[in-house]
Amino acid sequence: MNTILGLGFILLAGLLSARLISKIKFPAVTAYLALGIIIGPALFKLVPKDILDASGLISNIVLGLIAFSIGQNFSRDNFRKIGKSVIWISVLEACGAWILVTLTFLIILKQPFYISLLFGAIASATAPAATVMVIREYRAKGNFTDTLLGVVAIDDAWCLIIFAISLAISQAIHSQILATSFLIKVFFNSIFSIFGAFVLGGVVAISLSYLSKVLRTQTELLIFTLGFVLLNIGIAIWLHLSVLLATLFLGAILVNIDKSPFKFFDSLKTIDSPLFLLFFVLAGANLEIGILPKLGLIGLTYLVFRIIGKVIGASLGARISKAPESIKRYLGLALIPQAGVALGCALIAKSDFPNVGGMIFTTIIATTVIYELFGPLCTRYALQKAGDITVEPHPS
Amino acid sequence: MQIKEIMLKEVISVKRSTNLRQLLKIFAKFHIFPLVPVVEEDNRLVGIVSFRNLTNVFQPPRPEILKTVPFLDEEEEDIFKADFTEEIGDLVVVEDIMETKFISIQEDASLEEAFKSMKLHLKEEVPVVDKAGRLVGIVGIFDIIRQVFRQKGVIK
Repeated sequence: MNTILGLGFILLAGLLSARLISKIKFPAVTAYLALGIIIGPALFKLVPKDILDASGLISNIVLGLIAFSIGQNFSRDNFRKIGKSVIWISVLEACGAWILVTLTFLIILKQPFYISLLFGAIASATAPAATVMVIREYRAKGNFTDTLLGVVAIDDAWCLIIFAISLAISQAIHSQILATSFLIKVFFNSIFSIFGAFVLGGVVAISLSYLSKVLRTQTELLIFTLGFVLLNIGIAIWLHLSVLLATLFLGAILVNIDKSPFKFFDSLKTIDSPLFLLFFVLAGANLEIGILPKLGLIGLTYLVFRIIGKVIGASLGARISKAPESIKRYLGLALIPQAGVALGCALIAKSDFPNVGGMIFTTIIATTVIYELFGPLCTRYALQKAGDITVEPHPS
Repeated sequence: MQIKEIMLKEVISVKRSTNLRQLLKIFAKFHIFPLVPVVEEDNRLVGIVSFRNLTNVFQPPRPEILKTVPFLDEEEEDIFKADFTEEIGDLVVVEDIMETKFISIQEDASLEEAFKSMKLHLKEEVPVVDKAGRLVGIVGIFDIIRQVFRQKGVIK
């Protein structure tokens, strides 16, 4: 199959599979991922090699677009609105999964520190799509639902920050054989990667905002915004800075300095859906089925301790912010699904650490499929226990 | 020439607490549902309600915060199957459906600036505010076009 035929096939098959899966109330992302696994090299081998080889490129672009969009959350206005509870809970559930998974991989599974840290960082992500779908399906309403929505909206921002920091540390550790100046080097490499990303995002945001005065039409706005986001990603790669943070900062700084920043974010929304579809299908297609049987213990540990970390973290956050008892008890359970951001981070880990990346990525895909299947059930259980839904789904 | 010279100064605005029934009643005689500014007691502009926001009533609530979340499935709205009763007329208030992130224009902006901004943001009309953010009028693309016709002597 030639490349263009392959692209056409992936887009149309993706559309069809999303339609089918919506009948049984799963989000489109699950359909794309499953489609990728089925048509990928592991099973039917229908994805052309050119497209598979472009996985790294596409995931960098898609994650850049996502990080840019997530940056919008950092407006002063938004922080005022979302409130103390949501901030405490989201920060602590993300950190809870990060720390607990890192420690169990390090201590129980005896994995090297840099691998443990990467698994831990990826564990901090959640997938809002499945959670939001359950909330909509059952028309959940109430304090618990509001807090949950706030948490899923903001927590990928924390995940991107956690992953960027962990990646910088892992790279520094990995590239350096034990030496006297080891820790200092790790520290400076990480600081450079993160602080540099902040400076780059800031400079690009100021230029983007200043130069946008010349724009006259929607078409120009779209080309201009996409151009700047790609420029930002490209410079970050070139200077070995954190791509995720550079683009997150671009969005976050832009939203605070521009007078009407939302036009930039909205314009990109018109083109992102086919890219997202391709990203998920390729994620599924990158599954290395040969590694799967060897992953038993690693996969199981990841599955279990990520949930425990989230539950403890969310509960602690709720306690500190004096949230109601139902939130303290059940909110963590509603945060189980994982998908896009986790897969994207795993793809980055795969391309940065070729020797262990395949293992990390395959674990994340396999656990994503499992989480996406039973995560919504846990979300529903949590919403029921909190009293925000009655048992019957909404008929529409 | 500045926008305040050609804008419409008598604007029908609503408050956050105006309910859906009152809102529909105010504009019952209009050909189309207009852009409705939402103001505080001191006339400060805090939001707008457009036709698009009215259709939100048919959808499950989608908080503004989810706008930034990637990979969410869009929900199709089926207005014919919506299951609400007449109480919704009292229950839904303007604050629930208004947009708080919107485009407005300063009263001292030039016609060229206003036209450029409306074209860029694909808006047919926008509220006009003074320096303190108080609503002072509303201006549409047609008002600007009419002014150009007037300048060329097509209309007096």
